[in-house]
Amino acid sequence: MWLISRCDLVFRRRRFVIAVLVTALVFGMALIFDGVKRAVQNEVPRIVGLFDADTWVVRKGVTGPFTTTAVFPADVASKLTDDPGVKRADPVVLARGVARIDPDKDVNIVGYRPGGLGTPPVDTGRAVRHAGEAVVDETLGLSVGDRLALGSKNLRVVGVGDQLRYNFGAPTVFLDISDAQLLTFDGQDLAMAVVVRGHPTRLPGNLAEVSNDRVISDLNRITKPGVQTINMISVLLWIVAIGIIGSIVYLNALERTRDFAVLKATGSANRVIVGGLALQSLFLSIVAAVLSVGVAIVVGLGLPFPAELETASFVQLFGIAILVGLLASLIGARRALTTDPALAFAGA
Amino acid sequence: MPGVEIRDLTIEYSSGGYAVRPIDEMSMSFADGELVLLLGASGCGKTTLLSTLASILRPTSGSIVVGDTEVTALRGEALAEYRRHTVGIVFQAFNLIPSLTARDNVVVALRGGGVARREARRRAEALLLQVDLGDRMQHRPGDLSGGQQQRVAIARAIALDPPLVVADEPTAHLDYIQVEGVLRLLRDLAQPGRVVVVSTHDERLLPLADRVVELTPRAAAETRPPESHSLAPGETLFRQGDAGDLVYVVDEGVVEIIRELAGGGEELLTTIDPPNYFGELAPMFGLRRAATARAAGSGASVTGYTLRDFRGQRRDADTATLLEGAADAVPD
Repeated sequence: MWLISRCDLVFRRRRFVIAVLVTALVFGMALIFDGVKRAVQNEVPRIVGLFDADTWVVRKGVTGPFTTTAVFPADVASKLTDDPGVKRADPVVLARGVARIDPDKDVNIVGYRPGGLGTPPVDTGRAVRHAGEAVVDETLGLSVGDRLALGSKNLRVVGVGDQLRYNFGAPTVFLDISDAQLLTFDGQDLAMAVVVRGHPTRLPGNLAEVSNDRVISDLNRITKPGVQTINMISVLLWIVAIGIIGSIVYLNALERTRDFAVLKATGSANRVIVGGLALQSLFLSIVAAVLSVGVAIVVGLGLPFPAELETASFVQLFGIAILVGLLASLIGARRALTTDPALAFAGA
Repeated sequence: MPGVEIRDLTIEYSSGGYAVRPIDEMSMSFADGELVLLLGASGCGKTTLLSTLASILRPTSGSIVVGDTEVTALRGEALAEYRRHTVGIVFQAFNLIPSLTARDNVVVALRGGGVARREARRRAEALLLQVDLGDRMQHRPGDLSGGQQQRVAIARAIALDPPLVVADEPTAHLDYIQVEGVLRLLRDLAQPGRVVVVSTHDERLLPLADRVVELTPRAAAETRPPESHSLAPGETLFRQGDAGDLVYVVDEGVVEIIRELAGGGEELLTTIDPPNYFGELAPMFGLRRAATARAAGSGASVTGYTLRDFRGQRRDADTATLLEGAADAVPD
């Protein structure tokens, strides 16, 4: 079975190489889309987890601190600290702005109390200690010591961190809450949320608690249409891959109709003939999947949006590649199964 | 290997909606070690008979027994087993797998028969040496001449040492130089333990054969007394698929010319009344009857003539005129 399939692969190698390369591109694109989707899905719990909160206090009626601008006095945090159920409470400002670098970049702004909840991890440099300093995500392309113009503020970058992103990969600038208040509320001592360790026993009437899960699902709501679109595109790409391999295998089956007739006439079982086609199709699909890993890594490096290629992505790719190979072989298999062995007796 | 026994074999199939019966009630037997030549023109049923011997086609009725095996009763795995081990086929168009080398084409047959890989290679090489292709083992079919391809095909056919080898027009695509080697091989294959059945219309093969089976209907003797037939209403004179040796002239009544359709139906093609004639093409070209002739409701009387006598009777009935007449209305 494999002898015929292998020799046929060599015999018609040009078309198979083309099919494998094109399929590898399609698989590579699917892999990149999957990486982008995973990045979008991962960034939300990562950024929320960074605050290390047990609960969030926001204005009543607000679905989450990241999606709605609803403010209240920042000193609520101090009052909450007196609550017996609260271990720590820090006000935060969560806003959007434009980093005036070349080219300008949209950024998330997180104003927090230095040393308090919401302090980001830094890979190089240090955390913000006081006003005028910033910690930035590495995708902004800034280094420790660089200057960053953000609205009316000119900040000094003191730390750079990895994966400090949300809102579809937008980099985040962490700064002293007073700087964020200056940029957002003209210096008024307001907050958009209080990050709390512990659970307050009572809250002022205009405020409410929001759990981490609610905050995450609130942020996911923004990314959900994007993730759904990526899922649809991925399915389309798998279908395209099935189409490419399927058409090559079918074309091959058409050309090999007489071979199938001869094999049947000489007693080869259908499962042997179909198995050969399936093996061929699987081989093409898996080789394309292997090549697509390289394609995804190379192309992924040049993407403005960092795709997160995880082991699960590769495992999924190979699983789908096997499925693609098997499905693609079905059309050719049908052709082989319906071939009449009497055809072998036809003249040349 | 006691040989091959064919009993009352009829093969009928549909072609273009019509029932075609190239083999009709055929009975014969081939003895062990014989080389049998099925001789006949295109369309006379040679390949159909070979396909049935190889159990590729199932006959409409009758039976074929190869050794102790009732071939026509085989189904499923037993059928595949018969095709693998009992019959070897040499095809007219060689039918080697183009992506495989000569050796691998033979290996595939051996592997299909359950021979281990290494042993299959060894035996394939021995077989190719036997057909004098020791220096062409690694060549693909595209790099071999027609005669070399046919020799590989013969090696493949005998790879599992089958007791029956069928060869369909094995010299059809070969020039006279290549024919010689193939003929010698086929002759050598026919030996105790094996029957070789070769279909051909190439009369150069006649001296090779132990027995010749003519499948083309022979026209009647050039001259013989006319045959008068008085047909009752609905009585059949001849049936579609019968051998045909006479031209009939209607003396009285009306004769219906009917085409038998696949599935049992009929189609009335035309009616012939006196003094018209019908049935001239079968004796003229050695064909089987392409339609059935039977008396219409009131019965009919007809007289059958050999082609020569018919032409003598009708001085204007040269071949062209007969053909023209046939094209006008009267099917054979």
